[in-house]
Amino acid sequence: MSAIKLDKLPEKVILPLKQHDGIACAPLVKKGEEVVIGQKIGDCEGSDLAYVHSPYCGTVESVVEMPNPSGKRVLSVIINPLECADSVDFVPEKDASPSRLLEIIKEAGIVEYYQKPTYLALKPGERIDTLIMNATFPLIANAYLDSLDKVLEGFRLMLEAGGISRGAIVIRADDKESIKAFKNAKVDGKPLIVAPIIGKRHADYYFEDSEDEIIVLAGGKITYTPTMMNLLSGDVMGRKIPLGYKPADVHVAVCGVKSAKAVYDAVYEGKPYLENVITVSGAVNRPGSVLVKFGTPIKDVVEACGGYKGEPGKVIINGTRVGVAIYSDESPVAKDTTGIVVQTKDEVLRDVSSACIHCARCVDICPMNLLPGRIAVMADQGMYEKCGEYYALSCIECGDCAAVCPAKKHLVQLIRFSKLQLLEMCAETEPAEVTE
Amino acid sequence: MTTFTVSPPPHRRSKISIKTLMWGRVAALVPISLAAIYFFGFAALGNIAASILGAVIIEFAIEKAFKYELTILDGNAVYIGLLLALICPPTLPAWMIFLAAMFAVGIGKHAFGGIGSYVFHPALAAWVFLSLSWAQDMLPGTTPITSSFSDMMLETGAGFLGEVSPILVLLTGVALIAMKLVEWRIPVTYFLTTVILATLLGDPLSYVITGTFLLGVLFFATETVTTPVTKNGRIIYGILCGVLTVLYGYFSGNYVWGTLYALLLSNAIAPYIEVNTLPKPVGGVAHE
Repeated sequence: MSAIKLDKLPEKVILPLKQHDGIACAPLVKKGEEVVIGQKIGDCEGSDLAYVHSPYCGTVESVVEMPNPSGKRVLSVIINPLECADSVDFVPEKDASPSRLLEIIKEAGIVEYYQKPTYLALKPGERIDTLIMNATFPLIANAYLDSLDKVLEGFRLMLEAGGISRGAIVIRADDKESIKAFKNAKVDGKPLIVAPIIGKRHADYYFEDSEDEIIVLAGGKITYTPTMMNLLSGDVMGRKIPLGYKPADVHVAVCGVKSAKAVYDAVYEGKPYLENVITVSGAVNRPGSVLVKFGTPIKDVVEACGGYKGEPGKVIINGTRVGVAIYSDESPVAKDTTGIVVQTKDEVLRDVSSACIHCARCVDICPMNLLPGRIAVMADQGMYEKCGEYYALSCIECGDCAAVCPAKKHLVQLIRFSKLQLLEMCAETEPAEVTE
Repeated sequence: MTTFTVSPPPHRRSKISIKTLMWGRVAALVPISLAAIYFFGFAALGNIAASILGAVIIEFAIEKAFKYELTILDGNAVYIGLLLALICPPTLPAWMIFLAAMFAVGIGKHAFGGIGSYVFHPALAAWVFLSLSWAQDMLPGTTPITSSFSDMMLETGAGFLGEVSPILVLLTGVALIAMKLVEWRIPVTYFLTTVILATLLGDPLSYVITGTFLLGVLFFATETVTTPVTKNGRIIYGILCGVLTVLYGYFSGNYVWGTLYALLLSNAIAPYIEVNTLPKPVGGVAHE
């Protein structure tokens, strides 16, 4: 299944200068200036940065604060796109050294699906022995199967850039299409090994037996969302991450399918990160995956999918579990957008939360083995230290508990609030300890 | 321009609500109630009606008096009333069970803070209230023995309404578990513990597995409010219920009362079990 492409130019393009969870860029263009495809329009300095490039050519209408898919208003460059194909000179660099590769990845402004710039994800400072490619979003993985060799080459380049010796691609066990495609794919002329994760047979088990650099693992029926690093590392590598640690601390780095393709484009075609595939589902006439250039308003993406089916009630960015419901479909698609869900007016929830009956459904479903209901009650009463004792900080905010709650409690928000308070309390106490 | 709703996630939830949980339990008790009415006649019908009426009336009165939101439609009061009627003998005067149902919902439930806050199962509390106040009237006429399969179908020695057909309680209760309206940990551990311990001590199972015991396993013990929420806690709770039931039953010879008193005691210990079985998060905790 290949991705739908937008055939119409949007009326205007909104390019947020901050498209990941890091430092916002400063605009390099002014009102009235002409831009071409691939031109760098946002520059920034610091450690956690992702440059912004224009995927369209046209005239800059203004540089103002505009709605962003995250729901906040962000300084954005607004471009009136023109029907032209003028672009900056894309210079491919085939035989780059690892450090140069990392430089190219940084220059291209590639961002991971979990909001971290790729160059930082590949070289976080700690020793990394395995790079996991999270291909457990079936719709997105399937959309890239046409250019699977490019994705695999991009993945190999990422391994090279990060100096990582092994790469494990994780797909869903029920994603037949991807499994088939990966079985037929070849790396360095050798067919890929596609192996299941059963019990304690993690990636290490298969790496021991084979000399391949890259293997494919079909692991369960879980789609690992950005917050589920701990589970991804635990399920695939058998290395669980203790509270307060990062994947890099257990020598694991994680990347996405999109960034692998973007790395290929950056190295072999010299293109910066300009477009990726997002999924559109719910109440639209032709749901599916769409290849979208960043900055395209959601309105135009939905139009490419045949428009809204019925009266739209809610537009949700990045999934129904933890996604943000946006107030305007003029918001653009950004680098951290993975999917759009449209709900009709009737589907919009209007539940009123009531008293907890301690049914323990949240406890049974919690992937992190927490007591969400208890933490939420204590967060509601302002007992944040107690929330900490119940390991509120381990919560990955997957939203499963709130989805199954028969009392319709806002568990995720309450836990998230307690986490914020706990982190603030930590920040307050730490300097005090130093002075003692 | 179309307007979009902005609201916090999750944007899709399971359809299950407190209402479905409660009315599901009420529906599961309907067959046994009908069997009781068939067996005991109008006395049973009168008791069930009086009990439900008492529970609903006091809930309405309290919520009106304190200007709370009316929650009669969530089925909790009806469920408590019905359950209370099933653990009383049919010979009990209707006004007594009416008062007891008022005690169940008024004191057992609302005085403790309403749904989700009570420490003891309201119907159990009301049963103790009845037993202490009118001990003579609460004595069942006969003691049930389920020695053959026909006794499981229709128990002629039934003392309480809920004992007339153990198999109906078992079937509907297991159906609730199969439909995931009730969680399996407590009933399974409770049942197994009781059966194993009673067998080891040499008590005939025909005295143990009565309608009241099955009601206790599948309906009283699984009352989510009065049980621990932790996974291990629920298993310990089930085992504790079983041990206490057999302890009382073995030394007094009355497994019906044993079940009800064991549940009441377990209710009291449930919070203690919970705070001592807090789970560690996946991946463990690094500092500390």
